[in-house]
Amino acid sequence: MAQMGFFIDVTKCIGCKTCVVSCKDKNDLEVGRNFRRVYSFESGSFPNPILRHLSISCNHCDHPTCVENCPTTAMYKRKEDGVVVVDHDKCVGCRYCEWNCPYGAPQYNEALGKMTKCDTCLDLREKGEEPACVASCPMRAIEFGPIDELRKKHGDNADIEGLPSSSITHPNIVIKK
Amino acid sequence: MNKVLVKDGVVVRQKTDDTHADSPDFPQQRGCLRGRSQRQQVFGADRLKYPMKRKNWKPGGGKKELRGKDQWVRISWDEALDTVSSEIKRISNEYGNEAIWATGSGEMTKVLSENGGCTTDYGTTSWGAWYWAPTMMGVAEGWNELGINDRIDLRNSQLIVLWGVNPASSSPGSPTYNYLQAKKAGAQFISIDPKYTESAQVFDADWVPLRPGTDHALALAIMYTLLDEDDPKNNPLIDWDFLNKCTVGFDKDHMPKGADPKDNFKDYLLGTLDGEPKSPEWATEICGVAPEDIRKLARQIGSTERVALLTGWGPARINDGEGWVQAFSTLGFMTGHMGRSGKMTGVSCHRSSGNGGPWLVKPGSSGYTSPENPVTNKVNHNEIFKAILDGKYHQKGEGVRKANIQLIYHQYNATLQTRTSINDGIKAHRKVEFVVTNSYNLTTNAKYSDVVLPVTSEWEREGGLLTGNREILIAHSNIVDPLYEAKSDVWIAKELLKRLGKDPKKLYPVSEKQAFFNELATSTVITKDGKDYEPLVEITAKDIKDWNVDGKPQKGRIALQEFLDRGIYQVERKPGDNYGHIAYQDFVENPNEQPLGTPSGKFEIYCETIHKESKKGWTEISPIPKYVPKTVGYEDTFDDWGKKKKGKYPFQVVTPHYLRRSHTVFDNVPWLREAMPNPVFINKTDAKTRGIKTGDTVMLYNDHGKTLRPAETTETLMPGVIALPHGAWPEINEEDGIDKAGADNMLTKPVTTGLGTSGWNTVICNIEKYKGEPLKEDVKWEQRIVFPEGEV
Repeated sequence: MAQMGFFIDVTKCIGCKTCVVSCKDKNDLEVGRNFRRVYSFESGSFPNPILRHLSISCNHCDHPTCVENCPTTAMYKRKEDGVVVVDHDKCVGCRYCEWNCPYGAPQYNEALGKMTKCDTCLDLREKGEEPACVASCPMRAIEFGPIDELRKKHGDNADIEGLPSSSITHPNIVIKK
Repeated sequence: MNKVLVKDGVVVRQKTDDTHADSPDFPQQRGCLRGRSQRQQVFGADRLKYPMKRKNWKPGGGKKELRGKDQWVRISWDEALDTVSSEIKRISNEYGNEAIWATGSGEMTKVLSENGGCTTDYGTTSWGAWYWAPTMMGVAEGWNELGINDRIDLRNSQLIVLWGVNPASSSPGSPTYNYLQAKKAGAQFISIDPKYTESAQVFDADWVPLRPGTDHALALAIMYTLLDEDDPKNNPLIDWDFLNKCTVGFDKDHMPKGADPKDNFKDYLLGTLDGEPKSPEWATEICGVAPEDIRKLARQIGSTERVALLTGWGPARINDGEGWVQAFSTLGFMTGHMGRSGKMTGVSCHRSSGNGGPWLVKPGSSGYTSPENPVTNKVNHNEIFKAILDGKYHQKGEGVRKANIQLIYHQYNATLQTRTSINDGIKAHRKVEFVVTNSYNLTTNAKYSDVVLPVTSEWEREGGLLTGNREILIAHSNIVDPLYEAKSDVWIAKELLKRLGKDPKKLYPVSEKQAFFNELATSTVITKDGKDYEPLVEITAKDIKDWNVDGKPQKGRIALQEFLDRGIYQVERKPGDNYGHIAYQDFVENPNEQPLGTPSGKFEIYCETIHKESKKGWTEISPIPKYVPKTVGYEDTFDDWGKKKKGKYPFQVVTPHYLRRSHTVFDNVPWLREAMPNPVFINKTDAKTRGIKTGDTVMLYNDHGKTLRPAETTETLMPGVIALPHGAWPEINEEDGIDKAGADNMLTKPVTTGLGTSGWNTVICNIEKYKGEPLKEDVKWEQRIVFPEGEV
């Protein structure tokens, strides 16, 4: 199967964080752990401000530094769809992946003592459903699908001011700004 | 909408609408973050578990000064109900039924009315000045009657003016997405607002910042410009045909019967009589919009053929706000942006934001009844705490009446923190003899009570119906058994009635289940031709048997069980269907044959009714939209208006809706506290001059109270304006009187103006960096847990 990715339409995002909370609900995340995060950026000056919100989870990168730096190989990239997941049988909770990821995707679970992260809602996808963040977005600003298709449809930009350069890990994300 | 996955009686996950494929014409009704956190709301650690009473309460009040800070003692339901009913009887016998105040509305008002009556309250709440004034002049108030076209027609508008309209924060769910379809269809947007909102951002709107409460002045200057620059042949800006046929009061030749011709609006605008033209140069001093920008607005609104001129209730939640309602409406009349496709002028907010018109699907009725309330004491929201403290208030239409309120019964509302001056409210709550609240969390109302009765959430009840917009009907049905000892309000009502010696069957002739069934059975949906209504729910004999209720089989659009399983019925829309709506179309096309309900049968720029009614109110309102400086408005930030010398309270405060909360509900939910940290927003330049940086703890203060918040400095807010999000639950340090939560009504002054309007957005204050200990993030504060799990 093809490498999967997310498309984020920054021009439609109103920063309501429904995607964040629906992800927390779906994955039963306690306060402090967020598989998806919304960052707000302001520039310009009164009375011509520029306001942008960017929703980011795991970008399931082509060169995921979390995988490359995992000492136990718990963090790995699935062959079938390129989704980066954690093998909890191997994970020792050392948090190296957290430090390595430029996007903040790996999130430490204190109770478990292990890393957790966005897995594109594999269990929902197996039932033919979309990831919770995609299905919940009131502005329809998030899409999920094969990255090739998303790029064909929306272009191949993966950078925006405030986000680390895509040249570091080659994220499978498309951003419209 | 929300759907839940239940395992072993507990909700483990939620999801939103997936009953059909999503499209702009037929969108899924997607919930916002608050709905998505509802299982934390229902199953939260701070859920109230048992009936409880204040340790130091006793009949007559006990140590009243300890309300809000006393210990709680668990009691049984029998003791709780006996206590409440005994106090109702004791207080009504000793002081009369006027001594009992049922806040807001609900089941308890019915109980107390049946028991001989109670004092009630009223006010303009969300509407502000749109509550009474608009219908007097012939326009819709925006809730029961809608003055804008439907969402599919909105796509025909070329220019959409969002005047204090911010669906992204105030109408979560579909509205912002609906407006986006108009943008895709080519509409240009203008946002007139003290704040550059997320809506302005997503629609790429031209932002016209203006000072809170000064919209009236801006509207007058725009209209002045229309008049000044209009040339019917070469530069048409005014729809004279519309003005002449559809309105009265614009000029001396079109006055309503009995009005003095010299009191026409045109001469007022030109300053013919008072020598003061309401020009852009006049207005700029008040509203802060540059004259050239005012002229630009006039040209855009006046020369564009199809304009949606939309406002929210927010700009009208001001003191002396009726004139603004008159002025905004008159701007629509002058430009003729009404009654035709793509043309609309009116309120666009809440469930009907961007989507006006009659309901396509209507909820039915339960069969419960409401008794008449023999007590006629009705206290305006701005006077209710003062009425308790001072023993008198203004009965609208009558004059001063005595008040001696000794019992407060809080229903499902947040009166103590959503009326002007929380500090006055607390004093009032510590004066009366008894306070009781039905609640499922320790809300502000509950916290300052003597007895708190734990109630079920909607998830624990039989079910009910909800309209989220004109195209849908949501059916919520029972999800889990009641938690701990929670009971429904109806159950409490019945039990109190018994103890008061009244027959519960009079008000509640059927069970809650039968009531829900009745609602379903009597719901209706628009017929395919768009002309009539027919039963929505198909009910079979088997349904009636399975439910064990009374009823008759009927045909309907959707089967009963399917409706409940889906949780929603939505009318499918598409362009050109039979369900569209053009507001006022019938009248505009045939003003003489289809008159409006006003005395003149037309839109009344000169409205004698408003003027006459204001004499029964608090301050007199002119029949035409004359400008008056708003009480506690921009002008009041100055010691010397002439010399522009600022006073003690140089800043204006607006209180926008905030996505962590629906008003006050959900403020306690941890996921939402984390997602939405609730800062106070201050303009970057203002912050800099006061040495304030983003993240600093700041104190806002005025004569009425003090409150703390972390600051967020921004270029998206007009200088001189502070945005303090609405609805935070107060946390007041009794030693210094400082609230740390940023509760907006710590700063509001109890003022009633005009017809009885509340002015939440006419507030002034000062701000400084807080010298005490910086605030920790709200999400790290202790929850209001009364009986921790395992404790009694």
